[in-house]
Amino acid sequence: MNKFIAIVGSNSNKSTNRELLKYMQRHFQPQAEIELVEIAGLPIFKKSADKYVPQEAKEIAKKIESSDGVIIATPEYDHSIPAVLSSALAWLSYGIHPFVDKPVMITGASYGSLGSSRAQAQLRQILDSPELKARIMPSSEFLLGHSLQAFDDNGNLNDQDVAKELDGLFKDFLQFVNISKQLNNANVVNKQKVEKFSWDKD
Amino acid sequence: MKLVGIAGSIADQSYNRTLLNFIAKHFEGLVDVEVLDINDVPMFNQDNDQTNSAVIQNLSKKISTADGVIIATPEHNHTVPAALKNVIEWLSYEIHPFDGKPVMIVGASYHTQGSSRAQLHLRQILEAPGVNAVVLPGNEFLLGKVKEAFDENGDLKDQNTVNFLQTTLQNFIKFAQVINLISKTEDYEEEDLSAKEGTDTTIQGVDMNADDWLDQAAKKVHAVDGDTYVKLDSGLLTVNQLDYFLKTMPVELTYVDENNQFIYYNKTGSAEDMLAKRVPSQVGDALDKVHPKISRVIKHVKQVINTLRTGKTDLVSMPVPGGDESKSHVMHYYKAMHDEEGNYKGVNEWAVDIKPIVDQYLHETGQKLVKDPNAEIDATSGASEKPEVKVDVTSSASKH
Repeated sequence: MNKFIAIVGSNSNKSTNRELLKYMQRHFQPQAEIELVEIAGLPIFKKSADKYVPQEAKEIAKKIESSDGVIIATPEYDHSIPAVLSSALAWLSYGIHPFVDKPVMITGASYGSLGSSRAQAQLRQILDSPELKARIMPSSEFLLGHSLQAFDDNGNLNDQDVAKELDGLFKDFLQFVNISKQLNNANVVNKQKVEKFSWDKD
Repeated sequence: MKLVGIAGSIADQSYNRTLLNFIAKHFEGLVDVEVLDINDVPMFNQDNDQTNSAVIQNLSKKISTADGVIIATPEHNHTVPAALKNVIEWLSYEIHPFDGKPVMIVGASYHTQGSSRAQLHLRQILEAPGVNAVVLPGNEFLLGKVKEAFDENGDLKDQNTVNFLQTTLQNFIKFAQVINLISKTEDYEEEDLSAKEGTDTTIQGVDMNADDWLDQAAKKVHAVDGDTYVKLDSGLLTVNQLDYFLKTMPVELTYVDENNQFIYYNKTGSAEDMLAKRVPSQVGDALDKVHPKISRVIKHVKQVINTLRTGKTDLVSMPVPGGDESKSHVMHYYKAMHDEEGNYKGVNEWAVDIKPIVDQYLHETGQKLVKDPNAEIDATSGASEKPEVKVDVTSSASKH
């Protein structure tokens, strides 16, 4: 069975993005093992001369390395992903590169009707950058709007159409992960390239 | 013009900070730039609101009072650094200092891109409703290959780059002036006649409505008096000479500062002999204290001041109602005062009886006044009775 790491893109205790990932964890239990990862404990990303990376980031990196894919649920703050998520991704691409060629499914929830659409668009661009170089599932988008009203008392999605949409996307993600495993001819080279890559060099 | 600069990096060594420091130094004559520090800002978290912390309040205050903001952003993973985004999150949560604020984006990077993608993200972020900054369109300044860009003094080596930077900065200054003019065109209702907000010249720690405000405030700031010289922009007078001079002006002068505080009048005589009755105990009062608490009067005062503050007009004039027209025709004039940079600094009000002037003119030229049969004069109406004069206050009451 595939094992996925699900990153909660918020550091708030009452995050509907966490709620969404918990729902996915439970609901898709027969199909995959999903482990939720919190990023709230990470400090703000800061470059240092000795390229220090906090232990917590290294541990998250290890989990991602050994997983079959990553699911990210992002809120939208000011049309973009929260600083805390941006910061986590910066740590997870600073001398360590767990995202290279890793299949990623982007989801997101917001209180309003837009469902973090702009944050997700930016997140795609961020995950495409040379030091993250993730394999984002193409042509797919899961935007959960009005997220405060989206779940019932048991944490299940109220709207059956929305639930069905997510079922379909998750099924696609499983296939995308399997296809990705076969598209690994350049992986070794990619890993080497990213190890050597530096914005500081020409 | 006063700008603040924010370097989007908290790294110990930041070329974006170098770039801002260069802008501040090189264009000193053009604009005043203060570079702010975002190093100690805590991670944004809705569950732990630190809006009121000193570091965030200080940033907010600096941005609020600036005429514009320059943000220099590096690029991390195709976006702005988390540290910069983090600051913007705090400044768009419970407080909104960027609202309506002109912003210019610049950026430097090691590679050829010069932070191009981060700058686009930053534009989207600054457009968000909670931020609502007004970002200078076009004028992209992307400084690529930054490691070779500066000399050992932190100056940009390439003259063409400096020239281009100057052009964009000049465009931004013009842009900021226009945006600030639009932002300042607030509704007159927002005029605070209680003067509680204060301004940089407001004397703190003294009750402005106290009868002896003048003595208390003068003591507080160690004001000079008597035969001490005061250098003016085109003259040198002692305080006594200034008083002799102002007291013999043929008009009654009143100084109301930009904070709506009445801080001076030229005491030409005792109150009963004055056209506009003023007494020394009123000096220092907030404007709401020197006007009757009648809503139409308050409304009209606010309209006049706001019209001047927002630059809709520079001069408001109106006759004082109820006088005997055969004896006098007292006019009140309100003129906006500005500093060298065009910032509103208050109202210069003068009252004058123009009847003797008109009489003298008629006498010396051998003319006399006759009634205009077509005129629609409402001689008894004063401005305070006609609050609807509103913004066309430039026209004198005789047109109403």
